Amino acid sequence: MSQINYRTINIDQLDPESSANFPMETLLPATLPQPETSSDAANVATQVRQLLRGGDTEGALRHVLDTAPLGGDDRAKEVHLATVIEVLQGIRQAEMTRVLEGVCGADGGAERADCLMKYLYKGMSAPAPSSGAQSPRKTVSPQETGFSQVQARNVGEGGGGQQMSVLLNWHEKLVELTGTGSIVRVMTDRRTV
Amino acid sequence: MATPQVHHLFHAPIADHSFSSDKQTLAVARENNVELYQSSGNKFALSDELKGHEKTVTSVDIAPNSGRIVTCSQGYSCLQTVMPMSGRRPPLAGSPPLVLLRINRAATFVRWSPSEQKFAVGSGARVIAVCYFEEENDWWISKHLKKPIRSTITTLAWHPNSVLLAAGSTDSHARVFSSFIKGIDSRPEPSAWGERLPFNTICGEFLNDSAGWIQGVAFSPSGNALAFTGHDSSVTVVYPSAPEQPPRAMLNISTRLLPLNSLIWNGENEIIAAGHDCEPFRFHGDESGWQLAGSLEKQTGDGSGPREESALNMFRQMDLKGQTQVDTKLKSTHQNTVNTVRVYEEAGGQVRSFSTSGVDGRVVVWTV
Repeated sequence: MSQINYRTINIDQLDPESSANFPMETLLPATLPQPETSSDAANVATQVRQLLRGGDTEGALRHVLDTAPLGGDDRAKEVHLATVIEVLQGIRQAEMTRVLEGVCGADGGAERADCLMKYLYKGMSAPAPSSGAQSPRKTVSPQETGFSQVQARNVGEGGGGQQMSVLLNWHEKLVELTGTGSIVRVMTDRRTV
Repeated sequence: MATPQVHHLFHAPIADHSFSSDKQTLAVARENNVELYQSSGNKFALSDELKGHEKTVTSVDIAPNSGRIVTCSQGYSCLQTVMPMSGRRPPLAGSPPLVLLRINRAATFVRWSPSEQKFAVGSGARVIAVCYFEEENDWWISKHLKKPIRSTITTLAWHPNSVLLAAGSTDSHARVFSSFIKGIDSRPEPSAWGERLPFNTICGEFLNDSAGWIQGVAFSPSGNALAFTGHDSSVTVVYPSAPEQPPRAMLNISTRLLPLNSLIWNGENEIIAAGHDCEPFRFHGDESGWQLAGSLEKQTGDGSGPREESALNMFRQMDLKGQTQVDTKLKSTHQNTVNTVRVYEEAGGQVRSFSTSGVDGRVVVWTV
């Protein structure tokens, strides 16, 4: 018993009343779709690429948002995120508004708009795909302070910055269409993408 | 639509407000005190302060018939005070009776039941305290509704029968409970919510798809529908079918607005809600569907527009503030988030006017 350092025990885990033990699954609605695996997500990706090749960008975006793996595991969500970003990057800036109006204006469009907003935020939070040229830089502060401006800023650097500017363009267009309510729902909704 | 009546009381947030039934007295929760304002002419003047809470007052309610004021604060307790209905009154004699709620977290919200025999207090301790007066002991008793509540209660609303109680919580659920107390309540008529209703019966538990903390709940005038709004910028309307059955219809209106904080029903087919967008909005609908009908604010466009400025003034502004025009005034009547919406005048469930209060220290009376 003398080996236990009582100061390092996380007492929140032992307290059933603690907010750290809040059952997050109780926030998921009963209408959550069936769990999906990464192979399902990969199948969707193939279908979407076909639509993109056929020039049906609106159909591709609609399909990819309708098949979001809300109940899937992390791997499936990652694969699907990559697909969504591929679709978003495949649509020219001049076409964005037209495509968005088509996708979000129709029946069930509000859910698609909320879903797209979730992907935009997830895309912006994800680390940029390795652009190769990034050399490991020296951090300015000698120890990890938890807040460093040096990293995680992928502005104007290779592929990451480009992806960010695409997402920001979409964000601007989507907010014009659906207002701030959609952003708020990204924060509250536990059906993550 | 008449212009709203604006009472700018002070420059501090108003957590909650309540008018007496004759509209002569207005109680507002300001920091650790409750301030009572008396109407004089078309203004409200500060007449009294209720100092008894040691912590921030979170909610205040005046019972329309008895004139009793109940307040609650973050300091675990409730205060009650009796207010004479009219005329000049002496300063509050003695200390108001303190009601011990037996909670170990802040009390967040308090409302009298329509019968005025009971009041309910929501709290951060994951309980709702239903309080009633026991004649034998000459003491207010608090009974706890506890069961499936997983987080802080943020808002409460009474059913017209004074037995059913709706509660919104930060666990994103809106629930309907029975708060039936033997000897106080008469047996309620069976309704779609339930037939036999012993204390702590759960008559409904609702979660909408986008979750979000619930900030406002309200029963429709008939009591046969429930609306709630929350931090996901949506309003959800529930029509129950029968006890223990899934609801007949549950309609979610997700808006493009910032989140709404409080809502009231106007008849069975209209809801008025306000929140972080600083202005009240109207929703129309019935069981087949609801939609946002627009703002109640008269869109004047403020008239003034860009004024002619002297060149000297323009450059001075640019030098001082980095911009030529400083326009920090919102176009809406409220200049900050609206916290509370309450019915001001109604007849048979139809609201004629309602009042709002918010973070900007204003109480506004709107004509529908």
